[in-house]
Amino acid sequence: MRSTRDVAIEDDGAVGHYSDPPLLVLASLANGPKHGHAMIEDIATLCGTRLGPGTLYGALARLEQQGWIAPLPAEERRQPYRITAAGLRVLQARLSTLQRFATAGLERLEAR
Amino acid sequence: MTPRAARVLIRLYPRAWRERYGAEFAALLEDSPGGIRTAANVLLSAVVERVFSTHGGTMHPQLKAWVDRAPWAIFAVAPLGLLTGAYFVCYFILSSGWRIFLPGASTPFVPVHGFATVYFGFGRLLYFSAPVLIGWGIALMAGRQQIKVVWPAIGVVLMALIGAMVQVHASRADNRAVGDVSIDIGVGASLNTFSYQLLHATIILTFAALPYLILRYQRGRSISA
Repeated sequence: MRSTRDVAIEDDGAVGHYSDPPLLVLASLANGPKHGHAMIEDIATLCGTRLGPGTLYGALARLEQQGWIAPLPAEERRQPYRITAAGLRVLQARLSTLQRFATAGLERLEAR
Repeated sequence: MTPRAARVLIRLYPRAWRERYGAEFAALLEDSPGGIRTAANVLLSAVVERVFSTHGGTMHPQLKAWVDRAPWAIFAVAPLGLLTGAYFVCYFILSSGWRIFLPGASTPFVPVHGFATVYFGFGRLLYFSAPVLIGWGIALMAGRQQIKVVWPAIGVVLMALIGAMVQVHASRADNRAVGDVSIDIGVGASLNTFSYQLLHATIILTFAALPYLILRYQRGRSISA
């Protein structure tokens, strides 16, 4: 779930911010398990997008349903999640596609 | 955000979702700064979760069985019954309002004042919104069940067509104290009337289907990874 409302707008507007909540969550979990608040902060650092709590849990619920993330034992009230092997494969595939897209786009810009 | 505000927002989600994520989501909300933006974000997410449930939704098992077994009954016959009921209420409001507020008038379609405005206004609102509201109901159930769109689409189109073709007539003979109100369905006799009905049907269809399409788009984005 996603909308421009979830994007932290700065002086340059939403330009430069990438937002695909499930992908951002997978990318955030790629370097280790995190709970919700830590994911929001990590994603904000990673790409400037600050996910709303509803957006984050919408993505978490669907990622868990698809078996791409899994919960770990709760730490008090906070619930950490880890990325699964299937989630890593999906993340790898999506990032590779994005990398090809970005490379091709940048080459076209440079050719102008 | 205060624990109380967090609890109120979490109540917007379906029970099954709350049982799974409620405690941890409450902890996250209480750590969040709060405000209208956060509340709007949670509200929209809760609506998406209610329509496109990740945890089976809260639909009554018997209703769910009917949706699986006889979708035509749930998505076409039942909405037809509801719309008929809504138009019956409109008929009652118009005919009773005519007698109560406009006893000497030859038609109820004249400017009114005071409570009559509210009375007739409610009837008018129901008359125009009923096909759209029932369309939303169809879309909500279709989204929650994640079934094929054929029967829900037939149901919504049916609502749009009936909503566009329904006509209200009110007349009173000179020698009668009480006027007659009738509601019937008919295709426009002239090209102009037919074009108006077609436009009306398109507007109803658009309004009825729009929330579903928006939420489906939102859901599509949430599983795009």
